[in-house]
Amino acid sequence: MPGGKVTDLPLSFGWQGWIFVLGVVLMNIYGDKTFRLLEKAMDAGNLRQRVIANNIANINTPGFKKSLVKFESILKEELSGGRIPLATGDERHFGVNSLVNVNPLVVKETATSMRADGNNVDIDDEMTKLAANTINYYTVTQELNNRFRILGTVINGR
Amino acid sequence: MSLFDSFSISSSGMKAQRLWLDLISNNIANINTTRTANGGPYRRQVPVFAQRLQETMENGIRECGVVVTRVTEDNSPPRMEYDPSHPDANEQGFVAYPNINIVNEMVNMMIASRAYEANATVLESAKSMALKALEIGRG
Repeated sequence: MPGGKVTDLPLSFGWQGWIFVLGVVLMNIYGDKTFRLLEKAMDAGNLRQRVIANNIANINTPGFKKSLVKFESILKEELSGGRIPLATGDERHFGVNSLVNVNPLVVKETATSMRADGNNVDIDDEMTKLAANTINYYTVTQELNNRFRILGTVINGR
Repeated sequence: MSLFDSFSISSSGMKAQRLWLDLISNNIANINTTRTANGGPYRRQVPVFAQRLQETMENGIRECGVVVTRVTEDNSPPRMEYDPSHPDANEQGFVAYPNINIVNEMVNMMIASRAYEANATVLESAKSMALKALEIGRG
């Protein structure tokens, strides 16, 4: 049976192999792009929360123009443009440098107007964005926790 | 970028809306006041909202909530009612009552209380986000 040998493979590289795996994982804690990206996503979530809070606080301010935060579109652009390299062998190749351009951007929307006083805050829109942002933030936090748990599993071996 | 910034923005919004509610309740309480310290009938008071700005180290001046810059008086003419027996009636027998329209005040009251609620909701969600962030690494 040809599959018989394959099942033996995973545990066959001995303790040196496991030390190597552990070493690779520990090396990646500080350079891992996923951690950096999740951190940036949390920063963007904080910023978006702030901007939404500002928009809602100024709902009765005449002439106020709302702002919005661009992050996902910037990230998508960087990813599709191949500017964030995927796996590389040297640890100096990944990490902060490749994510330098992935930063949230605050954009003021001055063209529209909701009311006669020039204010353009749409309360339904803002509350929807608020709910979405909160859930998004929770998701990112959860994902960070998952990453740390995987790390813990690797370190403790259970 | 801290979530505490968001807390202070929401609190500025709640403060401003509550001040507006205070003014509205004062207006409604004085709807029949014909004598004031300045003479003449009470005049409707309205808040002037403006953006609050804060100077920061990293990117200069940025928006940081709302502030009531001043409280102005509505200068529209008083409501005149014929009542010669009133001690504040003029020679023609008309009494100048405050320029307050109760419907207007009630509508403003709804707007202010809804805006207050919205700010409170934002604060609540920022709070839960901050608590969630505290859970990172707890497993």
